[in-house]
Amino acid sequence: MGFEKFGKHGYVSHAKVAPIVDYLKKGELAGTKCLECDSLYFPPKADCPKCRSTKFDWVPLNENCKLITFTEVFFAPPEFQKETPYLLGLAELEEGPRVFAPIDSRITRDYLKPGALLALHPSTNENGAFYQLEKREQNYLRKR
Amino acid sequence: MGRVGIIGVGHSRFGKRSDASLRELAFEAYREALDDAEIDTSDIDASLVCSATHYDKQRSPAGVVAEYLGLNPAPTFNVEAACASSAVGLRTAWALVNSRLHDIVAIVGVQKMTELSSDEIQELMGRAGDVMWESPFGTTMPAYYAMYANAHMARYGTTQEQMALVPVKNRKYGTKNPKAMFQKPVEIEEVLKSRMVSYPLKLYDCCANADGAACILVASRNKVQKLSDRPVWIAGLGLASSPMSLAGRTGPMTSFQVTKNAAKEAYKMARVLPRDVDIAEVHDSFSITEILNYEDLGFARPGTGAKLLEREETDLGGRIPVNIDGGLIAKGHPVGATGAGQITALVKQLRGEAGDLQVDNAKVGLAQNIGGIGMYAAVTILRG
Ligand SMILES: [Zn+2]
Repeated sequence: MGFEKFGKHGYVSHAKVAPIVDYLKKGELAGTKCLECDSLYFPPKADCPKCRSTKFDWVPLNENCKLITFTEVFFAPPEFQKETPYLLGLAELEEGPRVFAPIDSRITRDYLKPGALLALHPSTNENGAFYQLEKREQNYLRKR
Repeated sequence: MGRVGIIGVGHSRFGKRSDASLRELAFEAYREALDDAEIDTSDIDASLVCSATHYDKQRSPAGVVAEYLGLNPAPTFNVEAACASSAVGLRTAWALVNSRLHDIVAIVGVQKMTELSSDEIQELMGRAGDVMWESPFGTTMPAYYAMYANAHMARYGTTQEQMALVPVKNRKYGTKNPKAMFQKPVEIEEVLKSRMVSYPLKLYDCCANADGAACILVASRNKVQKLSDRPVWIAGLGLASSPMSLAGRTGPMTSFQVTKNAAKEAYKMARVLPRDVDIAEVHDSFSITEILNYEDLGFARPGTGAKLLEREETDLGGRIPVNIDGGLIAKGHPVGATGAGQITALVKQLRGEAGDLQVDNAKVGLAQNIGGIGMYAAVTILRG
């Protein structure tokens, strides 16, 4: 139990990587690292498809990333209809993995060109915890 | 001459079929295919019922469909690969026949989508993506394809006006296909002004859920030679997979690697090149998908897919007519039936039976069928 708290609306309850929710609630971005071959996974994986090891550690992640592509959703599944329109993005973290995430609603479409500088920031809502893509400077200011 | 051929095809009317149940739709296509092949149910050694079964009220629909078609006690089972179910069914049937396990196999693609309530449809829509890492953010099928569209627009300058040429072309041909869901043409302006679904895709850029069935009968070489005076051979088969999660994929998201991989296998097996293809049916689930497919199948260089539409090269009379039966956009998309519907259109063309829409001297046909959000793709090459 616990993984249903991941995201804006969770569909899956049981997962070995459910602790991601606790990290995000603490405002930390964490991935998993395979203890056998050092592969870094984000979103986290409990199992390593490269070497088939099941031993891993949670490791902090650098939140800096660049946009690959995006969309703005107007016609949404039931749980999301009250939020429309909303932005979804695909970005690549500086450490390599790609992430699919909602985009901060303060960002406008004209900023969302491939390569746009973004940061993946932990966030919470009534469902639980998630992460979203924000402008780097906004993020920077908040930290101060 | 190939090792496995197609001896019959059948196609129900696609659309909102409030007049028929799943099994009755299957019967429409099956009956037409048997009449086409001039064989009886007793000649069929096995049936593959292809549907994305999560849309069906009936669980494990092969059970009732085989019963209703009178196909017991021959083997039957479901084949599921989302929107590519019946293309994967054709590949499976090819293997069953080529291995000599069976001589004649029926592929029955069928889907009944419009009796789901809009709540049920919406709920299913929300789980089209990776349900752990992407669906929790409110993804939809159009949203995924829209992300490819935005990447293609940013990298190559493709415009919404160019994308609108896909529904304009396909709806134009839909008016000539009595089995298509939509019988009215659309203008570019109507497409551009239609309701935004997921930017930049608008309502008329998207195919519609539909009910329908299509059936293909495949047979071993011996049987084909005995039964058919105008055989169509399965010359090439390609099937590939991609990560289901968008984040698991690589590259700039301006093409479907899964289509490229499937096409490579199919072209190699058929020993043909993209320029040898006389007629194609490609998966136009969305306008942008047809443009990417041109590029991924090698009909156009990367970034130049929309130019084919502007130059009318994929129209009837053009260099390579594509989706001139209306495609998914005009015919509707009864998920499990779509792939078999594409094959049906090609078989008619390769036999010279396509009437007003006949492509002169069509010898090589290609069908490309994408499953779901691009985790599966099948490319099938037929020779007349
Ligand atoms: Zn490993």
